[in-house]
Amino acid sequence: MTEISGKTEAFVAAAPVTEITLATRAIAVVAVVGLISGIIAATCGGYWLSNFTQAYCMVLTLLGCALLYGQLGLVSLCQWALVGVGGWVSLRVYHSFHPPFVFTVLAGGLGASVIGMIWGLPALRMRGLYLALVTLMLASAFQTLVVVTSFPVGGPGFLGQVGASGNARVMMARPAFAASDTAYFVFVALITLLGIFLVEAHRRTKPGRAWALIRKDEHMAIAAGVRVVFYKAWAFAVAGFLAGVAGALMAGLFGQLDASAFAPTDSIIVFIGTLLGGYDSWLGSLLGGILTRFVPALLIDFNVNTYLGFMFFGLALLMALRDPLGIGGRLTLLAVRLWVKYEGRRRG
Amino acid sequence: MISIDTLTVRFGGIRALDGLDAQLTAPICGLIGPNGAGKTTLVNVLSGFVRPYSGAVALNGVALSGLSPRRRVGLGLRRTFQQELVVDELTAVENVQAIADHVSATRQSGRREVTVALDFVGLGERRDVLGRQLNLYERRMVEIAKTLIGRPKVILMDEPGAGLNESETDRLRRLLAEIPQAFDTQLVLIDHDAELIASVCIDTLVLDFGKRLALGPTRAVLDDPAVRRAYLGRE
Repeated sequence: MTEISGKTEAFVAAAPVTEITLATRAIAVVAVVGLISGIIAATCGGYWLSNFTQAYCMVLTLLGCALLYGQLGLVSLCQWALVGVGGWVSLRVYHSFHPPFVFTVLAGGLGASVIGMIWGLPALRMRGLYLALVTLMLASAFQTLVVVTSFPVGGPGFLGQVGASGNARVMMARPAFAASDTAYFVFVALITLLGIFLVEAHRRTKPGRAWALIRKDEHMAIAAGVRVVFYKAWAFAVAGFLAGVAGALMAGLFGQLDASAFAPTDSIIVFIGTLLGGYDSWLGSLLGGILTRFVPALLIDFNVNTYLGFMFFGLALLMALRDPLGIGGRLTLLAVRLWVKYEGRRRG
Repeated sequence: MISIDTLTVRFGGIRALDGLDAQLTAPICGLIGPNGAGKTTLVNVLSGFVRPYSGAVALNGVALSGLSPRRRVGLGLRRTFQQELVVDELTAVENVQAIADHVSATRQSGRREVTVALDFVGLGERRDVLGRQLNLYERRMVEIAKTLIGRPKVILMDEPGAGLNESETDRLRRLLAEIPQAFDTQLVLIDHDAELIASVCIDTLVLDFGKRLALGPTRAVLDDPAVRRAYLGRE
């Protein structure tokens, strides 16, 4: 027996211990996001630039969805509805106070964060399929509500509607520093970068460790002094915040929002994108987010029925279920291996 | 010191603990009994996961009844679980730091305690190794290190030696014996391994069908004919 355990020890010690510093990781995030965004900003315009801007909003949403699933194993199927909540709040705040754009975005984030926390309350008691169903129903409820009330367009009263003619509609203005489509895309890319850092900072510090304990065993977490309710709620708050920010950025992109863009199916697609990209790495959210927007945009561009997109996502889901790492996780693994090899050779 | 006062726990019609009375005062106490004797139930009552039907428990004179598990952690109660619960995706040091995040007085003292605990269990040099790369012995050590954070007053260990081989159990034994002095705490040890209990525990409480079968100096208790009959299965 001793011999066996000795062997295990030797084996474990021989396994490569990845020594990648936080600074290296941070540089990698900036480099990858910078490179992809740079190429998009330099080559795209009009239709595609708009789609990639939306894709980055999708990335922000996926970051939150991946946080919930990867850190706590919670399946939330209402994240795109929270984008709608964030959009609604930011439009409401914009038309009431005309604050600087950054505050409008923050308001959207905070609004969706609060609603996300409330919608997350069922997660204190349930998980898995039941939580997925409850959150999906919340997403449906939101759609029903927003189809009836519509998004604020600068009219009087709380709902801010302007009547049937629609002539008096007021658009939400983009900030002066990001008025052009390209500048606005770069602005959204920067916010996405901040979003990635927000999530990574959570994953690598106290909340991330607390979530890890809760995920492993809730009783153990309680016996370790973790405030389980607080940390679960906090995860929903962060995920909601990211979705809300995405909603405000969408509102800024179009100047207004349309209720039809917030169907519950979109929340399901957010989750599929999360699995497809990989829920344990920022790269997964980035690639998953871009892909989930890119494919439908491509179908529209080719004049193909967009429902074909659902078939694509269905197939993609089958693939994702086979590989929990996802595309982003696989690529991260590959990058880490190459980096360790390179470093090893450099150091001789 | 742990005081247990006519404690009864019922699961449906079954009395998992049945009017149990005991004072655990020794720095290291053993808790043994056949399967289903109520050992883990007692640990669950002490740590606040199971609400007793009647009776009370107290920690160093402070009544625990009605306190949430988290409040009990705040009072200095620590426990391990039968299965080891090391998080695979966190390193050894992060696994222990995750406890310090919530029980240490300050961030600085937390970091110091984590280092002390990991050095104590002999994982000082393996601190940055991911949980999934640790072997079973090392994982058990991480579990023990987790209980040593934040000035524990009483540590309840549920089978810390499960799955370990002989030489590892030896190392574990020496380590456990040092804990009360090194960390100024009381240790309650639950284990099936009568040898481990005999070599480490000063006093031992024997449970059988939720009742106290014996309590006293370990050797005397293990030699008690009633205990041998019920637990060791021989006369």
